[in-house]
Amino acid sequence: MLWTIAGTSMREITRRRAALLLVIALPLAFYAARADMQGQAIRFLALGVGWAVATLALFSHVGSRHLDRRLAVVGASPTALLLGRQLALIGMGLTLAGGYLALVAATQDVARLWAVGLLLATTVIIAAPLGAVVSLVLPRELEGALALLAVMATQMIADPEGTLAKALPMWSTRELTAYAVDPVGDDVLRSGLLHFAVVALLCACGAWAAAVVRLRPQTLPTPVNP
Amino acid sequence: MTASQWHESFARTLVEHGVAPGEARRLADDSTEEAQAANMHPADLFGPATAYAATMARAARPAPLQSLTRTRGPVVLRLTGVTKRYRRHEVLRGVDLTLRAGEVAAVVGANGCGKSTLLDICAGATKATSGRVERSARIGYAPQQRGVAPYLTPDEHFRLFGAVHGMAARRAVATGAHLASGLGWLPRPGIVAGQLSGGTQQKLNVVLGELNRPDLILLDEPYQGFDQDSYLDLWTQVYAWRDAGAGVLVVTHLLHDLDRVDHVLELKATEDR
Repeated sequence: MLWTIAGTSMREITRRRAALLLVIALPLAFYAARADMQGQAIRFLALGVGWAVATLALFSHVGSRHLDRRLAVVGASPTALLLGRQLALIGMGLTLAGGYLALVAATQDVARLWAVGLLLATTVIIAAPLGAVVSLVLPRELEGALALLAVMATQMIADPEGTLAKALPMWSTRELTAYAVDPVGDDVLRSGLLHFAVVALLCACGAWAAAVVRLRPQTLPTPVNP
Repeated sequence: MTASQWHESFARTLVEHGVAPGEARRLADDSTEEAQAANMHPADLFGPATAYAATMARAARPAPLQSLTRTRGPVVLRLTGVTKRYRRHEVLRGVDLTLRAGEVAAVVGANGCGKSTLLDICAGATKATSGRVERSARIGYAPQQRGVAPYLTPDEHFRLFGAVHGMAARRAVATGAHLASGLGWLPRPGIVAGQLSGGTQQKLNVVLGELNRPDLILLDEPYQGFDQDSYLDLWTQVYAWRDAGAGVLVVTHLLHDLDRVDHVLELKATEDR
């Protein structure tokens, strides 16, 4: 069932051609806008990938809410429904990240190219459940999109050393970008990965809890026949 | 329209109504020959191709499960004093119903009287404020709105719902196509649900509700967007499901055919009470 849900979810997303083009174009626009500054370009590229995947996840989960509720009523597990859709989104996000890693490799001379792949992947792995959490807490597209806008825009402009930036979900992207581009030590990698692990765990648990609360049907007893 | 255009339109519409392409071609050829023998244009003899095709498709369809003798089985749904309240607004009050396998119940009432809420409660999608709801575990559920995914084809819907019911993909698609033909619809590959007409989307919605041959089928105004023939097909299907041993609960605001159902549960709007 999990793979069928993932497969159908993937097809649904790929049939929204215009949305998919915008998902591809957003990180590219961010990257092109800062192409002259390597660190900034990669950081904005990664945040663009994260924003695009989170928005895709938001719309995917909001759009499928009624169908998922129907599937849950007739026997689908809310966990399988969430996991299936997340697998499709993460798969799509990692494909997008792979494409942009190739672009960075072709256009920049980066000190640790593998770390660019790592930061793009970690950003996708946070973004997909982040979009799911927002969709399950704010189950309307406009409200959800505005919430994501607030989070991502604040992440971009907040002082990276400040508490606010560290409290936001994509701080690890900034740390891992610094590790990929600048001559810094492994402590930056460690702090980035630790932040990623905590945020990914929180987002995954939050998305799962919200999915179970929203989708789980009532448990009804079977009729007793005299 | 020329005679050959009428012929093509007639054959195409027959296929759209679930007649096998070969059979549709044969019927179209026969009709054209009959018109030629009468020295008349087919449209003058039979009327518009689409209307005549709908009638012929209905006549050509085998009557489902006619040989089954109806038997009433165990209780599949029992509502006892079910009440639903949204804050101070009471939507349902003290609803009682017992539905057995092999029975059809119709829930009727004006707009806003809580018909869809009651169906959601029966399905388990909404919690009753008080009262007791007992129902069979194997249910089919066709909600009134947004029961299908606009970017998936009918076959993908069948595979998805089939996976939930533990059916193999091929069997789910074959079962879905068979059930669709009972409603006069032949799902075409590659067409997503969002491109189907409102009535055809509703047929898909109904077929998904019956895919796993459930013990209890819950339908919320399933005929929306249906033409007259599809409406008749739907009720034929409802009685076929009943005769096959399912309990069927249909939410409706149309009073046709209610003389044939076993239970009529009339809900009153709050202001009427």
